[in-house]
Amino acid sequence: MSTIAAVDLATHYEVEQFLYHEAACLDDNRIREWFSLIADDIDYKCPIRITRERAAGAGFSDEGMHFDDDWGMLEVRVDRLETEYAWAEDPPSRTRRLVSNVRVQATERPDEWSVRSNLILYRNRYDYTSHQIIAGERHDVVRRTPEGFRLAKRWIYLDQATLATHNLGIFL
Amino acid sequence: MDTSLTPASPHALALIADTEASLREGLVPAAIYNDAELHRLELERIFARAWVFIGHESEIPSPGDYRLRYIGEDPFIFIRDESGKVRCLFDACTHRGAQICRAEKGNASHFRCPYHGWTFQNDGRLVGLPAAKMAYEGMDRECFNLHQAPRVESRHGLVFASLEPNGPSLEEYLGDFAWYFDLHFALGTPRVVGEPHRWHMDVNWKIGGENFSGDDYHTLTLHKSMWDLGIIPVPAAANMMGKHIQAGGEFASHSMSFSIDPNEDGPPPHWWGLTDEQAALLDRSRVTPEHLRVARRARVTVGTMFPNLSLILLALSRDPKRKPPSIMFGVRQWQPSGPNGMELWSWVFAWEEMPADYQREMYLNHASTFGTSGIFEQDDTEPWSSMTRTGGSTFARKQKLRLNYKMGHAGVGSSEVITDFAGPGTVWSNRYEEGVMRNLVWNWIKWMTDGAPDPGSNGRRDLRDLNLELLAEREARAASRNGGAG
Repeated sequence: MSTIAAVDLATHYEVEQFLYHEAACLDDNRIREWFSLIADDIDYKCPIRITRERAAGAGFSDEGMHFDDDWGMLEVRVDRLETEYAWAEDPPSRTRRLVSNVRVQATERPDEWSVRSNLILYRNRYDYTSHQIIAGERHDVVRRTPEGFRLAKRWIYLDQATLATHNLGIFL
Repeated sequence: MDTSLTPASPHALALIADTEASLREGLVPAAIYNDAELHRLELERIFARAWVFIGHESEIPSPGDYRLRYIGEDPFIFIRDESGKVRCLFDACTHRGAQICRAEKGNASHFRCPYHGWTFQNDGRLVGLPAAKMAYEGMDRECFNLHQAPRVESRHGLVFASLEPNGPSLEEYLGDFAWYFDLHFALGTPRVVGEPHRWHMDVNWKIGGENFSGDDYHTLTLHKSMWDLGIIPVPAAANMMGKHIQAGGEFASHSMSFSIDPNEDGPPPHWWGLTDEQAALLDRSRVTPEHLRVARRARVTVGTMFPNLSLILLALSRDPKRKPPSIMFGVRQWQPSGPNGMELWSWVFAWEEMPADYQREMYLNHASTFGTSGIFEQDDTEPWSSMTRTGGSTFARKQKLRLNYKMGHAGVGSSEVITDFAGPGTVWSNRYEEGVMRNLVWNWIKWMTDGAPDPGSNGRRDLRDLNLELLAEREARAASRNGGAG
């Protein structure tokens, strides 16, 4: 992106608050409300990561994806969670998303910002004392619309090659 | 008898003997799905002897290309050496055993151990020793090449390794199952797309393989959301129509399940979701007309090649409001990780003959349903992990809890053996049948007892005898029914 520039404090604050709101919808299991924050041209991806030597880069796959969803596929996932047979998430996992290190940059479009953030996602199920931690960095595009902010792109870069979670039945 | 095996403990032998007795009644002791001693024996007697999948040739196309893989719980470098030969090198320096392959993927002419710098060529030969003259004058280097899987064989691009120097060939190990193997892997030219998905779950490895051998019955409840949303185009009850197959030979028997149209000219999906035009693109030179006849009627395939490799081809529409049904094609491996855990490795396949955008559709179909985030598969992790928990419970052991695998066993259910199917093996018609799972447990008993120093365990077991026994039971039942009707 050629015109990357720092943004003013107010914009940074607004975009950051949008990320916290979006995370709260997921943690509170207000999934349909979360989905209303998704732009209809969303590009939602999570590349598989493998261990590479330093010279070969960070090890993210070009073709292999944990998620590779458009709006329609995300809607199918949300619809599924509302059926009576979504056993993997009913009862739902208890999750806590810690979103930090938020960096907001302007883009070539005046209504869009490129946003990077770190995510630590705590996941707990049933009465188990054990938990799962999913950590990674997210590269988002956040768009301002007359109805409020919308998420137009999210690529999630996880920090594990072998995921220590029994499934990704949750959103990242 | 292979006397190199560690003797099994009385506890393990008793549990295996109980499994055999239980299986004759269509039951399986819950404890075999979570037992530390059995797990140790499985690694030695099954994973260190059987033909275990290691990867696909399309993952390492050029000399020096490598991937880090596992046989049982041991690390191996799956590599194409400079001469083009595919090898499985044990990832342990012959000096002190340190790991020499420090990435999961790459291209290397040599591997250098970080500890003392011993260096190995990509065919395993020891070629470099720092300060060799001072340090090793007089030592025979030839004795310190990397250890490697003694036997590596490839069939239609799928590479298998056996850690047993003397044993059946891959072809002998597949036996009659080769017909079904070829049906899925010799039709067209499959390639692996991207890297395999890998994730851990608290599930015993045997449970995944059993499920994929043909536990079709669970789709009616556990996966009901897939039908409620319209993702699977074949109605749930119709999808239970099809075949269950056990096929193999003297050394192992494997299982699979087809959802298949009873008629030659029924409605689509055909070819697991391909149109006739798309299927016409696939290279057919390596399969027979009988293969093609079955493939055209096939709507779903699942299957498990003992011990831990499964395949799935499935007609589905991942976004049914917007997309017509198409196909997904995957191979998965249930890698043991302790008695109560496994790593699931899932490879996505697409055919090279297909246009790039269709190959991408095949990838998306798989990633959204059977990958780490897959909306189909994620529900499986719930019962599989609790089944493992049950297996490890004190009460299940105290109670000698035996799980129910009765469907299709001695007088139970509606599935019938048929003899007019195009493929070999023992074929049951309709998928309300669990012989495919019992078959894998019979294999497990065979490989766990083979060579065990227990006179009661009867040494090498002929699986075909056991299958024939079951078949005889079925035929006797069918005869008595016919007699009753007449």
